[in-house]
Amino acid sequence: MMPAQTDAILTVKDVHRDFGGVKAVDGATFSAQRAHITGLIGPNGAGKSTLMGIVAGAIKPVAGKITFEGQDVTGLPPHRIAHRGIIRTFQLSAEFSKLTVLENLLVAAPGQKGESLWGAELGKPYWGKAEAALVRTARGVLNRFAMTPKENDLAGNLSGGQKRLLEIMRALMAKPKMLLLDEPFAGVNPTLAREIEQYLVDLRKEGLSMIMVEHELSVVERVCDPVVVMAQGKVISEGSMQDVGSRQEVLDAYLVG
Amino acid sequence: MSDSMQFYISTLVIYLFIDIIGVLGLNLQFGVAGIINFAYIVFVAVGAYTAAVLSLGPDYPGNFQHYVFGASWPFPLPILAAGAVSGALSLVVGVISLRRLRSDYQAMVMLVLSLIATLIATNATGLVNGPAGLATIPQPLYDWLNLDSLTYQWVYAGWCAFLTLIIFVFVRGITNSPLGRALRAMRDNDRAAAALGKNVTAMRLMIFVVGGAIAGISGAVFVEFIQAWSPGSWLYPETFVFLAAILVGGAANNWGVMLGTLLVPVGFLEATRFLPQIFYNGFIEAMQWVCVGLLILAFLWFRPSGLIPERPGRFRAHPETPPVPAE
Repeated sequence: MMPAQTDAILTVKDVHRDFGGVKAVDGATFSAQRAHITGLIGPNGAGKSTLMGIVAGAIKPVAGKITFEGQDVTGLPPHRIAHRGIIRTFQLSAEFSKLTVLENLLVAAPGQKGESLWGAELGKPYWGKAEAALVRTARGVLNRFAMTPKENDLAGNLSGGQKRLLEIMRALMAKPKMLLLDEPFAGVNPTLAREIEQYLVDLRKEGLSMIMVEHELSVVERVCDPVVVMAQGKVISEGSMQDVGSRQEVLDAYLVG
Repeated sequence: MSDSMQFYISTLVIYLFIDIIGVLGLNLQFGVAGIINFAYIVFVAVGAYTAAVLSLGPDYPGNFQHYVFGASWPFPLPILAAGAVSGALSLVVGVISLRRLRSDYQAMVMLVLSLIATLIATNATGLVNGPAGLATIPQPLYDWLNLDSLTYQWVYAGWCAFLTLIIFVFVRGITNSPLGRALRAMRDNDRAAAALGKNVTAMRLMIFVVGGAIAGISGAVFVEFIQAWSPGSWLYPETFVFLAAILVGGAANNWGVMLGTLLVPVGFLEATRFLPQIFYNGFIEAMQWVCVGLLILAFLWFRPSGLIPERPGRFRAHPETPPVPAE
């Protein structure tokens, strides 16, 4: 086993979830390290996306415990998980299609004064200043990801790759401590995929923790450390990519799966 | 202009403003927040009944109509009560149907609710006088103002215009704010909105109650004008007239849905009244429903965003200046 890590930001302990007799997640245990990109890999149907959904609060576990920064977050609803600082992106792009790119980013900002009914009715004198500050922040994010020219485009009109990028930008606006990325490169052209990869590495260097579900093992090898391997609802291996890649149970799982 | 023409025009103006109030409320729920409320007319009806029984005075033995909670509250309390009762009913319905169910099932629940409500109002005769409905509902301040009935009509039209303005400003306060943006985001993808920290259940309930209260107010102002209300006045297809107004005008655009109200419930349905009777009596009226359905289909096919489409928020280029509000 890998040496005991002292700086785990998220721990998942013996989590179970079944769907009508199918054990989608069957006793998964792993931890994610602060300021690392933890890779979550495994054959199709291993339970990776279900486990992501459980951590994000969208799916309730039937047993097990999830702690984030030392606090129990098991079974909290999605918006409370988000308030704790865990922000997910989706396997299928989940843009707000009739909002502009900039609006998509603005929505994500937490604690907006104008988002309560009374706050909204008090009008711009009440929330306008905070809004202007948010617009500045969002424009900074757009600039960083070279999406400034798309600011006023409807999100639904973006290309598949740009939508993935939008989701990452939007997640950053929510001030996350940890990102859960479910196949962030799915359907993205190779050039843009490389750019997104570089952005993720940069964010990690700035101290952001991430868990990434990914099928493309070469990407996992480049950016993820450690790597968690799942098969049939269980975590079967945990460690560096070179380490787990040579283990027999991992090879078996991939061949069987 | 002849008196009868003035009566007709002022009645149309009153209908227009009252329908605009109703459509603005449904647009908040459907256009902005994506809640498919096929029972909207029920909340209009409940508001109307509330205002009616609170204006009719206490029921007494030998009365030609029977109802509960009779009282003679002064204007404008019955209208406020109507908003409160419809809002409270929205909360109950929302808590039951909006929390767990998927949106297509929510729509079914609403449609069924609409049918059940009609059955209850028709068959529980002691509640609001059954199928005959309530009549002789006093018009607000009629005796106090002491005007001839035509002048009163115009005053009432002015009152409706004023109320419409208040509701419009209130609704615009929501749609032009970060709250409106969050609601539209929830409509486009509620899972993603939740994953970003929005409490979508609370948001959905809140806007459902706000829309329901607005429906109740529109019903109250309507019933105080026409002075009668029965289950036949609010059959479930009435909701589809409102929906048609929204889809034709432009969902999630306040100006669009107001144009849609002018065109569909007022323009389209009024204009067809002047067609000569053909085939048999009532044929034209029956065809109105067909046409409303066709109108909805045509717009969904050929112009799904309506005549005045939703306008996303635009923000000024200079970060120092305050942003331009969304519409």
